[in-house]
Amino acid sequence: MKAVLSMTLGVMTAIGGFVDIGNLVTSGITGARFGMTLAWAVLVGTAGMVLFAEMAGRVTAVTRKPIFHVVRERLGVRVSLVNAAASTFLNLITLAAEIGGVSLVLQMVTGISYLIWVPLAGLAAWLVIWRMPFQWMENIFGLLGLGMIVFVVALFRLPTDWHALWHQVISPAVPAGQPAPTWWFYAVSLIGACIVPYQVIFFSSGGREEGWTSKSITEMRVNALIGFPLGGLLSLAIMAAAVPVLQPLNIQVSHLDQVALPVASAFGRAGLAFVFVSFFAATFAAAAESALSSGYSVAQYMGWSWGKRHPPSAAARFHLVCLASVIAATAFTLTTIDPVTVTIFAVVLGAAAVPLTYFPILIVANDARVMGQRVNRRWVNAAGTFFLTIMVVVSLVSVPLLIITKAGQ
Amino acid sequence: MTRWDEDEFTANDLLLDRELIDCHGMPAGRVDDLELSDPEPGEPPVLTALLCGPTAFGPRLGGRLGTWWQAIGRRLRLVSGSYPNRIDAGLIDHVDRLEITLLAAREHLDSYRFRRWTEEKIIGRIPGDTT
Repeated sequence: MKAVLSMTLGVMTAIGGFVDIGNLVTSGITGARFGMTLAWAVLVGTAGMVLFAEMAGRVTAVTRKPIFHVVRERLGVRVSLVNAAASTFLNLITLAAEIGGVSLVLQMVTGISYLIWVPLAGLAAWLVIWRMPFQWMENIFGLLGLGMIVFVVALFRLPTDWHALWHQVISPAVPAGQPAPTWWFYAVSLIGACIVPYQVIFFSSGGREEGWTSKSITEMRVNALIGFPLGGLLSLAIMAAAVPVLQPLNIQVSHLDQVALPVASAFGRAGLAFVFVSFFAATFAAAAESALSSGYSVAQYMGWSWGKRHPPSAAARFHLVCLASVIAATAFTLTTIDPVTVTIFAVVLGAAAVPLTYFPILIVANDARVMGQRVNRRWVNAAGTFFLTIMVVVSLVSVPLLIITKAGQ
Repeated sequence: MTRWDEDEFTANDLLLDRELIDCHGMPAGRVDDLELSDPEPGEPPVLTALLCGPTAFGPRLGGRLGTWWQAIGRRLRLVSGSYPNRIDAGLIDHVDRLEITLLAAREHLDSYRFRRWTEEKIIGRIPGDTT
């Protein structure tokens, strides 16, 4: 019974943890602009995330070494430095986007400019890193993030044309009057929003924080195989809810409050309360997690002690990196750069960087001398290699698309 | 006496970039380079120490970045000279596919200085650090 409870809790936090500012922004924009014609990108991204996280989690459980140990030991000192630098840079942009997201939610609730909230959001995220026990952090915000289910419920309340939505899902095509490069650009951004480097760093390092061993593999798999797809479903619901409300009015989503509009028109204030709490929880947890991920990647690369399971003084340099990341990202957000734009850049560049961490994990998960009987099965390898090819293509087209479409305008 | 899990292996396989774990199970850095010495004339060289720290890491990076890394490391050192921090081969307890375990506690290694500095000057001064 206790095991079932803890698994359920794990799945629920995985659902809440999957959705962050990247999913909110990209799902809202694409739903309003392209209907459900890009639903396939969420499916591809989620499938990739499940595959990647399961492998990374399995490697961590068996070897007790999370992702950046593997990266440095397998790719050598030079390539892995590029890797660690790129990941840390992306973690920082993501962190800035999440801090911006938290502040925008607070602006929606209070009416006070988000810039006032930015330093407070940064400080609060750092306090969570500094003091809050790891599992509290995961559970509290993961569960509150589940409030986004209100988007699923709203679909039944809104004048949703299920038949038309379904048709767009199964026969995707660039909608009339929309430029094809922009459509593809948003496809890349949706994939990038689902398969985020920091989430994999966090998933595998978090497994170590919770003391995973080979016995934890089942629990880890349930989290990844059930939790993440349900998180992907929430992303799809946010996208679908935008279709009947925002598309007829021709609203181009450029603010976070527009993403909340469908729920507001379905349930009014009561629905908005759910949206605010869940958006806040999702972005706030993601802020703490992406800051931690900077610390995880640098400390693991350098061989420093890391993690919230040690008191801060026993992992001093890890905490220094986390603190410096929060300060840098807060300062960056305070430059008044638009958080929504930062989010788009973060997810697209994130998609471009996925192969950097994915490739070494695929190699180690295949190494029978390290993994023993937990080595990749043949079909996992086939799927993993297929997905690597997709991600390399995505990676190659992402930056040109970013430039051609001027970040999706 | 060091225990080696494998009879024959390459430095890349089991030594370089591997994680060092001290006798209390705490991470103690990574192997940045190896020191080999020639015990007797005519004998083959033997592994005498694992080397860590920026002055070992910099040269391995190579290029301008490596030179900078090494230069910064050298300027932050107490002693003059750029010879890296040594972990004597006698302190190696166990080498396996996952990590290298040491016989000493990390507090007693030369490579501990940066961590101690961070702990004493920054992290230890922030309120709420429970030790």
